[in-house]
Amino acid sequence: MLKSDGRTVGRSDNPRMAVVALAGIVFLSASPTVRLSGQLSPRDSAVHALNRLAYGPRPGDVDRVARGGVMRWIDEQLAPERIDDAALATRERQFDLLNYSREDLARLYLDAQRARRERQQAQRADSMMSPPADQAEQTPEGLRARRLAGQLQELAVVRAALAERQLQEVMVDFWTNHFNVFLGKGADRFLMPSYVQETIRPRVLGKFADLLIATARSPAMMFYLDNWESVTPGSRPPSPAFPLSAMRRGGQGVRFPRDPMRADSLRRRAEQRMPQGINENYARELMELHTLGVDGGYSQRDVIEVARIFTGWSIAPPPRGGGFEFHDWAHDRGAKTVLGVAFPAGHGEDEALRLLTLLASSPATMHHVSRRLCARFVADDPPDGCVDAAVAAWQRTGGDIREVLRAIFHSPDFWAAQNVRAKVKTPLEFVVSAVRAVRADPDTTARLAQVVARLGEPLYLHVAPDGYPERQEDWLNSGALLARMNAAVAIAAGRLPGAAVDLDSLVPATADRDALVAAVNEAILAGTMSEHTKTVIRDQLSDISDPRQARALAIGLALGGPDFQRQ
Amino acid sequence: MTITRRVFVKSGGLALFSLGFDPLFLGRAAYSAIRPTVRPSDRPTLVCLFQRGAVDGLNMIVPHGEELYYRERPRIAVPRGQVVDLDGHFGLHPALAALKPLWDNKSLAAVHAVGSPDSTRSHFDAQDYMESGTPGLKATPDGWLNRYCRHDQEHADTPFRAVAFGPQLPRILAGSAPTLAIDDLQAFGLRVPQEAARDRLTRAFEALYQGATTGLLASSSQEGFDAVQQLKQANPTQYQPANGADYPRGRLGRGFLQIAQLIKADVGVQIAFLDGTGWDTHVNQGSSEGQLAARLKDLGDSLAAFATDLGEKMRDVVVLTMSEFGRTIHENGNIGTDHGHATAMFALGGPVNGGKVLGRWPGLDPANRFEGRDLAVTTDFRDLFGEILARHLGTRDLAAVFPGFAPDPARFPGAIKA
Repeated sequence: MLKSDGRTVGRSDNPRMAVVALAGIVFLSASPTVRLSGQLSPRDSAVHALNRLAYGPRPGDVDRVARGGVMRWIDEQLAPERIDDAALATRERQFDLLNYSREDLARLYLDAQRARRERQQAQRADSMMSPPADQAEQTPEGLRARRLAGQLQELAVVRAALAERQLQEVMVDFWTNHFNVFLGKGADRFLMPSYVQETIRPRVLGKFADLLIATARSPAMMFYLDNWESVTPGSRPPSPAFPLSAMRRGGQGVRFPRDPMRADSLRRRAEQRMPQGINENYARELMELHTLGVDGGYSQRDVIEVARIFTGWSIAPPPRGGGFEFHDWAHDRGAKTVLGVAFPAGHGEDEALRLLTLLASSPATMHHVSRRLCARFVADDPPDGCVDAAVAAWQRTGGDIREVLRAIFHSPDFWAAQNVRAKVKTPLEFVVSAVRAVRADPDTTARLAQVVARLGEPLYLHVAPDGYPERQEDWLNSGALLARMNAAVAIAAGRLPGAAVDLDSLVPATADRDALVAAVNEAILAGTMSEHTKTVIRDQLSDISDPRQARALAIGLALGGPDFQRQ
Repeated sequence: MTITRRVFVKSGGLALFSLGFDPLFLGRAAYSAIRPTVRPSDRPTLVCLFQRGAVDGLNMIVPHGEELYYRERPRIAVPRGQVVDLDGHFGLHPALAALKPLWDNKSLAAVHAVGSPDSTRSHFDAQDYMESGTPGLKATPDGWLNRYCRHDQEHADTPFRAVAFGPQLPRILAGSAPTLAIDDLQAFGLRVPQEAARDRLTRAFEALYQGATTGLLASSSQEGFDAVQQLKQANPTQYQPANGADYPRGRLGRGFLQIAQLIKADVGVQIAFLDGTGWDTHVNQGSSEGQLAARLKDLGDSLAAFATDLGEKMRDVVVLTMSEFGRTIHENGNIGTDHGHATAMFALGGPVNGGKVLGRWPGLDPANRFEGRDLAVTTDFRDLFGEILARHLGTRDLAAVFPGFAPDPARFPGAIKA
C-alpha cells in the first residue's frame, strides 16, 4: 500500500541516519548531564523551541523565554493546566458555536436540510425558472449552518494564534490530523464541532489509550470511516428501520407518507439499503494509521476480525442527537482472533475496548506514533535517536503523551544543528506564525481560515484519513509559494483579511534603511534574518522615500521570503 | 515559442547548485534538466473535467432504444422525439445538441456503463477513489494524474505541465510531482494593481529566494517566477477566443476558456484539470428541460466553444469527462434520482475514435443490474483512463500510475484511434 510513511528508509541501511545517531552519542558522552541545547545560544534555543512547541514567537517572546530558561519554558508548556489563558477564554466567548451542543447542531442541521428541501419544492412549482441548485442553500437555516462551520475553522486559527498554552494547541492540530475526520462528509458537518471540542481537545496530553478510545467512540469517526453501518451479516434491527441512507446525505430524515402503497414501497427501498454486512474501513485505518502503522504486522484476516469486533458500534439518528450507540443486535458475538490474541465468543461492546487497549500498548503503535511525533517536532525524516527516546518514555509511562513529548524535547536530536530551521511551515503554521509575528488581532469571521485554505490547507477538510501531511514536498509548490508571498504583502500593507494589524507599534516608520531592516529583523524574525535577505531588502528600499511604504515593503518581503517559511 | 532560454539557464544553474544538498531536490532538478523531446506546441494535452455529485449518465447519453428506460422513468425520461439520436439506440440529451457536429465529425465518443469496481455510493469515497485511482484503498496519498507526472518526466520542463483550475490542488493532482493550481489566470502571480509595482515586487522576491536557499523552497519559487514570466509574455488579459467561439458565462465556460488560452500560449500544458458541480440531482432533475438540462447545456456549450476556439489545435488535445458514479435507473419520489453505480463519460478531440458509444452495454434488465437496481459497470474507469494515458500521452508504465491494477490493452474501450 502507498503511504507517506512507507517512503522513508529503514533504520539500519541509511548511512546518514547512522551518522546522526553517532553524533548524538558523542554529544551525550561529551556532556552527560546536559539538559538543553548544546551549541545553540540561549536565544537560538528559545527561537527553536518557540518555532516547534509553539506557532512561532511573538515580538518579545524570545527574550522572555531565553531569560527564564528554555527548558523551564518547555516544562511549563507541558503542564498547560497551570498556564493562565484568560485572554483566550474571553476571545472564545465571542464564538457562539461553543454554545451549541451536538444535539443543537444536529437539530440545526435537520432544519437546514428541511428548509433546503422546501425551497427546492417551491422552485419546482415554477417550472420556467430552474435556478442552480446552490441557490437552494441560501435559506436562513443554511446560512446559519455555514456560518457555524466557518466559526469552527476560524476558532482553530484564533486559538493557535492567541493561546498561551501553545504546545496544547500544536498537539490539538497534531491529533486532529492523526485522527483525521473530513468535515464535508454527510453527518460529519454537524458532528465535527463536538469531535474537536469533546473528543480531541481534553485528551491531547493525556494517555494515548484514552484518546484512541475516545476517537473510536466518537460519532464523527464512526460516520467518517463507515463503522456506524457495519453489521453482522443477516442481522436486523428490532424496530422499524431509520432510513440509514438518509444519514449519508447528512442526516436528512424521511417521513413516510400516509398513502399505504407509497409508504410500503419507500419502506421496502429503505430496507434494501440497510447495511448488509461488515464494513472494514475503520478497522483497517485503525491499525494502519491510528495505531500499528502500515508495516505494523497485521494481515487482511486481522482487519476482518477487528471489523467483526466493532460491529454494532454505531450512531443514534440525528433527531435523537447523533450520539454514540452500541447496537447489540448488529454485534457479532462469535469468537475472534486478532494478532494472535483470542477474543472468546459471547462478548458485546466490551471486547472492542479490550482490543483498543491492546493496540494502544503494542510496540508497533509506540514506534509508529512516536515517529510521527518526531516528524512533527524534530525533522520530516526523524533520526532514530529521538524516536527511540520517545518509545522508551512510552514504555515507562504506559503511553503518557506528556512524558513522550518531554523525552523528545530532551533528546539531543531535537537540538541538533541540522534539525534547527530544517522544517518548512505548513500553511496553518505560516499564517498563524505571521499573525503572531505582527501581533495581529483576529476577528471571529472565517476570513483568516480562508487565507489558510487558499494556501492549500482548508481546516478539517482533508478528505483522506491520513490527515494533512507533515513533509515539505507536500506543501511547497510554485502556486502555493506565490500565494504565501501575496498573503505576506497583504499583512504588511495592513490588509490581512480578518485581523487588524498595528504596524506603528511593531516597527516605527523610519527613513533610515539600516534601522528599518534591523527593526523588521528583530520584530518579525526574532533576529534570525539571513545576510542575503538583509542585503536584498536593503537594496529594494534604496529608492523608496516614503517611510511607511518602505516599512510595508520590508515587512512584506520578510514574511514572504525564504527565512520566514522555515521553522 | 519554445521554452525560453532564461528558464533553461536558470534550471541548469539550480541543478548544479543543489548537487549534494538535498536528495529530494535532485529529483525535482532532474525534472527540469531533461530536454523536451517534442516542441511544446506539438505536445499531446489531456483536459479532465470532473462532474462532481454523480452525473445521471442515463439522461446524458440516453438509451432511447430501451423500453425499460421509459418505464422506469415516467416523469424524467427524455421523450424519444426530443433525443438527439446518435446510433438508433443511444442519443444525446437535447441540451447537449451543440455536441452533435463533433459527433458527426468523429471527434466525440461516449463510453457508457463505466465506473468503479468499488460498490460505494458515497460521493466522498467514490470521488476519492476516482482521483486516487485506487478503488477501495483510502490511504493512497497521491492522485493518479500526479503519479503519471512523476513517472513520465520528459514533459516536466515547464511549470505549466500540470495545471488545476481552482483555488486548491485537487486530490487527483496531489503528490510529489510539481503541479500548479491557478484560480484565475489573469490574477496569477503577485497581486499588486500597478504593473510596474508588481514587476518590482516580483523581482524582489525572486532575488530573495535566488541563491538564498536550496532545496524545494528554491525550486518551487523558481517554478513560480518562471510561470509568472511566461504568462506575462502570453499576455492573458488580451485573450480573444478564435473562430467566433462563444463560451457560456459561468465557472465552467470560464474554466474552459482559460485552458484554451493556456494551450494556445504554448507554455507546455500537458494536463489540465477542471471541476464542475451541481450534478447531484436527487430532487426535481427534470427531463428535456429542468435542472439537469441547464447543467448539461452549460457543459455541451462549453465543450463546443472549447473545440471551436482551439480549432486545428484540437488535433493534439483530448478532453475527458468523469464523474464518481451514476444514478438510479428508477426515478425516485422527488422526480429525481438517487446514487447509483455506472455512468457515462465523454472523450473529445482529434485523437479520439469518435462517432461511437463505446463500452459493453449491460442493458437495463433487472437481471443484469448491479445489486438488483443500478446500471452495472462493464468498463473499469482505469481501463479508460489507462488507455488515454497510454495511447494519447504515451505512458509506458501504467502499473505505476494505477498500483494494484494490471492494465490490459484488450480491455481498453477503444477511445483513442489506433
